[in-house]
Amino acid sequence: MGLIGFYLRKLFTVFKGEVLVLPSRVVVLLFFLTLLLLPVFTRDPYLLRILILTSIFAILAASWDLLSGFTGQMNFGHALFFGVSAYTTALLNLHLHLPSWGSIPLGALAAVLAGLIVGIPSLRLKHTYLALTTLAFPIILLGVVYAIPNITGGELGLSGLSRLSGSRVTDYYITTILMLGLCTIMWKITDSNTGIIFHAIREDEVAVRAAGINTTRYKLLAFCLSGFFAGVSGGLYAHFMRIAGPSTLEVSMSFQVVIWAVFGGIVTIYGPVGAVFILVPLLEFFRFWPEGRMLMFAAIILLILLYMPQGLLPWLRDKVEKECPRCKIRNIATRSTCRICAASLD
Amino acid sequence: MSSPFLEIDGLNKGFGGLKAIRDVSFSLGREEMIGLIGPNGAGKTTLLRLITGILKPDSGAIRFKGKKINGHKTWSIVNQGIVGTFQNMRPFRRLPIIANVMVSCLSPRAMKRGEWVKRVEAKAMDALEFAGISDMALEDASTLSQGDLKRLEVARAVATEPELLLLDEPFGGLSPAETDLMGKSVKRLHKGGRFGRLHSEGPAMIIIEHKLQQLMKIVERIIVLNYGEIIADGPPEEVVKNKDVIRSYLGGGGI
Repeated sequence: MGLIGFYLRKLFTVFKGEVLVLPSRVVVLLFFLTLLLLPVFTRDPYLLRILILTSIFAILAASWDLLSGFTGQMNFGHALFFGVSAYTTALLNLHLHLPSWGSIPLGALAAVLAGLIVGIPSLRLKHTYLALTTLAFPIILLGVVYAIPNITGGELGLSGLSRLSGSRVTDYYITTILMLGLCTIMWKITDSNTGIIFHAIREDEVAVRAAGINTTRYKLLAFCLSGFFAGVSGGLYAHFMRIAGPSTLEVSMSFQVVIWAVFGGIVTIYGPVGAVFILVPLLEFFRFWPEGRMLMFAAIILLILLYMPQGLLPWLRDKVEKECPRCKIRNIATRSTCRICAASLD
Repeated sequence: MSSPFLEIDGLNKGFGGLKAIRDVSFSLGREEMIGLIGPNGAGKTTLLRLITGILKPDSGAIRFKGKKINGHKTWSIVNQGIVGTFQNMRPFRRLPIIANVMVSCLSPRAMKRGEWVKRVEAKAMDALEFAGISDMALEDASTLSQGDLKRLEVARAVATEPELLLLDEPFGGLSPAETDLMGKSVKRLHKGGRFGRLHSEGPAMIIIEHKLQQLMKIVERIIVLNYGEIIADGPPEEVVKNKDVIRSYLGGGGI
């Protein structure tokens, strides 16, 4: 009994020392707990539906950040991955009757393939030119979709997919857990050695090549990874909405992703996720005022961009946390000395 | 006779109407350390960029250990063992200094040569230690001064463990005392050995430099370029007495 108590106390000490010391970590913990425990308190299908869509879009926004924020490959056609995966998932489900656990991964693989197809010709382009080229790809695909209505359903899209699962609560858990898991994986990727190379490619590609790194391979890797994660979200969307329509490929879809990411703060992963969880429910909330809804939305985003150019979440984080000037460890803003090296924080 | 370590044969490069490199040929032994001097615009940096593959030559051949390397990609040339620094430093400004060097340590060549070292950070730290800026490892590269950026460039190049190191003005922006120190470090690097976890092959070197006095202390051979042509090639003492060199570069006073 004493031994169990010892380990429990030890676990609590670690928890106190690693998680409770920083407000940002506490917020992430609360975010995880709230999302996972929500259905215990309420089963309101409307609320769950909003949260499921929010989770799906959070994956999409984070995957854009991985490609455009970290690697600096400005992608203004991120809807391509979303749409390709949604249509592939729908076709596989409707014609081959694959269940959702089979069709979504295959849809994501189709998005990886799309990432390769877009990535290879785009490798020579940079900045604005890359952005414009990527913007064109979903529009081209949209033209193809309209051109062959007997396969793609034309403007109506493909409807009648099987449900993600039997009940709304199970749907909720599938999407939420996938969102939390995939975003953690993305954050881990950006934190690894590969992530450092991604950062460096954004800063100066020629210098990375002069350090002996095959940048072509890493840029394609970024396209494929981003395509995979966006593909998972596209597949989930198709199965949850039970329709894969042209709206998944529209230009507005691509730009929405960019707006979310810039609003929340690029090069963070947590920024876009947080932004989606703020903006999508907010937009739903303003449904009672349909005329002013988009105006309100635009005003909020403009204010954020004016006063917090690095994004909302990094701005908030800088308010509640300080970086130690000596060891670069983050500390809560109320401390006067660093918690690790005891250097003065002011 | 075996082929020379680095052989440059009839190299030409033009930018529009300007011929930056005209018919340059020389060779370099495995143990050699040479200085490359010349007036501004003589084509020194262009020559280095041609060797590292950042620029493509119009004609001529560059052979490294008997293999032709012009036309190869920069990263592939680095992985064969030739690495160069940039004259106008190109750090990853928004990354910490240690991350700047870790990128070099993550190149396939450096990873393969890690031997018993698996920690990329530790190796990057030793490269910084060699260059003398390890105390600032966690600062952003944008906070560095010009002189420290030079050292960062050297650290980044050394971290790939090259066999041929091309330094483009390694002493630029350094104070006389620092220049002395850097000169000694470069000499030590040329002798080879271990610097902590970092292994030096004892690379052959080509050094571009304007601080002639420092350069003459560390190199055994100097090549002088003027308008893209080699006008002198030999030991430092002979080169500074050469009439062409004095007229085009050193000026009447000599050094």
